[in-house]
Amino acid sequence: MRISPDAVVLVQWGPVALNATIVFTWAVMALMVVGSWLVTRKLSTGTRLSRWQNLLEVLVAGMRDQIRDVSRQDPDPFLPFIGSLFLFVATCNLLGVIPGYEPPTGSLSTTVALAACVFVAVPLYGITRRGLAYFTDYIKPSVFMLPFNIMGELSRTLALAVRLFGNVMSGSMIAAILLAVTPLIFPVVMQALGLLTGLIQAYIFAILAMVYIAAAARVRKREETPPTYDVEKGDSSHG
Amino acid sequence: MLIDWFTVGAQVLNFLVLVYLLKRFLYGPIIKAMDEREQKIASRLKEAQMHRDAAEQEQARYEEKNRQLDGQRAELLSAMKHDVEEMRKTMVHGVRTEVEGVRANWYEALDREKDAFLRDLQHRVGEHAYALARQALQEMADMDVEIHIARVFEARLRNLKEDEGEKLRQAMDRSQGKAVLRTAFDLPQDAVQGISGFLESLKTGPVDLTLETTPDVVCGIELVIHGYKIAWSLGAYLESLETDFSRAFEAGRVRQEIQPPPKEQEDPPEILQTPPETVPGDTIPGDHE
Repeated sequence: MRISPDAVVLVQWGPVALNATIVFTWAVMALMVVGSWLVTRKLSTGTRLSRWQNLLEVLVAGMRDQIRDVSRQDPDPFLPFIGSLFLFVATCNLLGVIPGYEPPTGSLSTTVALAACVFVAVPLYGITRRGLAYFTDYIKPSVFMLPFNIMGELSRTLALAVRLFGNVMSGSMIAAILLAVTPLIFPVVMQALGLLTGLIQAYIFAILAMVYIAAAARVRKREETPPTYDVEKGDSSHG
Repeated sequence: MLIDWFTVGAQVLNFLVLVYLLKRFLYGPIIKAMDEREQKIASRLKEAQMHRDAAEQEQARYEEKNRQLDGQRAELLSAMKHDVEEMRKTMVHGVRTEVEGVRANWYEALDREKDAFLRDLQHRVGEHAYALARQALQEMADMDVEIHIARVFEARLRNLKEDEGEKLRQAMDRSQGKAVLRTAFDLPQDAVQGISGFLESLKTGPVDLTLETTPDVVCGIELVIHGYKIAWSLGAYLESLETDFSRAFEAGRVRQEIQPPPKEQEDPPEILQTPPETVPGDTIPGDHE
């Protein structure tokens, strides 16, 4: 039994192997980008707009609201990254109903890649918005906590990757197993459940990423308030 | 090994490309469109608010105009009512004055008619009484009234009081002997001579006595000397009769005036119509004065 679509190698050029994960990712990317381009090439700024534009506006506005609720900050700087995470994972998962399709998120390589992006994005956003003061978070409440903080960063990134991989892979596995055991009716129910699970996983992944990034960027706002102790007073000079 | 590090790298690259493409084709245009729409809606709301403010100002202006017009209308109405009331009073006063004038004319005409009637009555009664007395005395006592009247007149002249006789004498002097004797009948010659003789006794010299016969001297004689007149006739009796009739007329008129005055709006036309029928002067008997 195949656990990951990585194993399906379509073309092999030495160390470069074009596997199913990458191909399906390209397909999903093409679908999303072409769909967006088709809709947004003739946008209406009046009160009458097309259904597809309405759908995209609802999506974008909903994501902005979620980001604003979680971060309590202006959502626009976070929207491309967080929104793309959510839309990509959700699209990958929802397309799972198509026969023959292997969700790229069912590959640990993909989830690790996404988690790695989050792992890098957190300090990037933190440094962009707070400067080098971001790194002082790692020595709080004392310098001795530095290894544990670093381990925490790594472990939560790993958890992010494994959680998504596990859920999507298990869904696919269950569907495959049930298809072998009870080929009628029941797999359809599990597929529907898989859609729900996939959407929830996309939401969880994006929200957790947002929480991590917001935690890195939000400290800055706390520092802007009147400082109550010396450490934060020293940090505010970098703001 | 579940993790293919080449795939991980490729997926990282794919994801970064996806982020860029979605930002380019999805988030940017969509957010821009939404912002433009919000701005349009905001501008429309602002424009609507401006229109509404303008409309409210216009409404306030028209309400103020309406209030002013109402006030002016009330003032005009009040002024018009006042003018109409003044005009009504003036017209009523004019009508009342006219009615009073017509009534006064009517009473005046009535008085004239009454006077003429009384004079005529006096004259006719005198004539009839004289004719009756003359005829009765002629037939029953074979007496000539004219002769007796002349004698009585002569006797009265001769028995005038001293001061009256003196006045008569002075009048004769001033008239240089001219005197006029008026009677309603032709005097007998002896009676004329008696009176002439009396006048000559008053004045030394000839006396020019002119005889005039006029029906005005009802059953009597008048002697006129240079403005001084001595009369002896039924006139005094007839005047008392006229006085009695006049009193009777006055009593009837007073009763008429005591009655309630006619209403202002309805009665005057009736009064206006009646006097012309009584006013014509042709019905008044000839005035002999």
